[in-house]
Amino acid sequence: MNDAMTLNTAATLLLLFIGSAFLLLAAIGVMRMPDVFSRMQAATKAATLGAACMLSAVAVHFDDFGVTIRALLVVAFVFLTAPVAAHVIARAAYFIGVPLWEGTIVDELRGRYDSQTHTLASGFPNSEIHSQADTNKSDELNVSNSDAGEGFSPG
Amino acid sequence: MSNLLWNLLLALAWMAMQGEFSAANFLVGFALGFLVLFFARRAVGSPSYVRKVWQVVSLFLFFVWELIKANLRVAYDVLTPGYRMRPGLIAVPLDARTDMEITLLANLITLTPGTLSLDVSSDRRVLYIHSMYIDADLETERNKIKHGFERRVLEVLR
Amino acid sequence: MSGLEYTFSSAIVNVVFAMLLAALFLSFVRLVRGPTMPDRVVALDLVAAVVVAITALYSIVTEQAVLLDVAIGIALITFLGTVAFAQYIERRARGDE
Repeated sequence: MNDAMTLNTAATLLLLFIGSAFLLLAAIGVMRMPDVFSRMQAATKAATLGAACMLSAVAVHFDDFGVTIRALLVVAFVFLTAPVAAHVIARAAYFIGVPLWEGTIVDELRGRYDSQTHTLASGFPNSEIHSQADTNKSDELNVSNSDAGEGFSPG
Repeated sequence: MSNLLWNLLLALAWMAMQGEFSAANFLVGFALGFLVLFFARRAVGSPSYVRKVWQVVSLFLFFVWELIKANLRVAYDVLTPGYRMRPGLIAVPLDARTDMEITLLANLITLTPGTLSLDVSSDRRVLYIHSMYIDADLETERNKIKHGFERRVLEVLR
Repeated sequence: MSGLEYTFSSAIVNVVFAMLLAALFLSFVRLVRGPTMPDRVVALDLVAAVVVAITALYSIVTEQAVLLDVAIGIALITFLGTVAFAQYIERRARGDE
């Protein structure tokens, strides 16, 4: 009985520690990464994992069916929504032309957004959306088509 | 599908007989039920179910492995001074077609540290991702996604 | 009685609290400084995640499993807030043109 209790406590403490370490890592990453996208890289995943660890700690600590189910519910919810939230924010950030870090080596998304209709071209020549939105039909997946990218830069 | 139902029923029966309804006991019951179905697969006629469960488990393990590996890399970059990353926005042509396939693939990519799915093109043929560590050329990076996550996701869902 | 009243355990709990507070502080700094709107939204998301974690820790320390419902509520509302912010950012960009 006593042994089981200490095992339970040890697992709880370990999960708590790992979870808060992930969250601290996410916060440091958000603090010192150079642009929005790398900040999101640091924040989204580490924060998701951290919160999941903390909630698992709750489930382990109480060791009760209802609590476990609710904790798993929150974890599942967080794991489902975090990528969606990251996607909408990243999309919005790119759309308003948030500057990329100067060390970014390639930007294949440049010029692919239509600033009026908010559709995104694939770069494949025989796509119907592509043909009305853009002019560079032939250079599929080309990086250097900078002329189309000026439409929605903020300055 | 009916095999999954059988497996859940077996797990439920296991929990009822043990008289202990907990998550851990459910997992034990599910594993034992799977074992039963595995040995009885010729009688029940469900080798595809066994293969499917194996594919799901393999996808899950692959995801966890990628998660740990990439997390350590991002953590190292965050905690040490200077930036070691070579980030970029790259386009990955998709083989996934249905909503479910694309959603699962994009979510798994986002949850793996170092890669973030930005958007799917309106004709759903290209997934644009932000990758923090483009070590080799872009083709290699695209293939890493295609042969790693996409192949496994399609295996599970098709 | 839980095992969390041992001194070793409470020391670790204090360390965890300190780490979470540091994380909260750092993300607040980014929230204030963030040069663009998406930066602030990302920081706000992180603040919410840390608050969920603090709620979870607090529910363990005080032995109140009900606090888990608070965590559920925070997680739900944050997601809706993030999506609304993103929508707002995009719509504002379209309006400016």
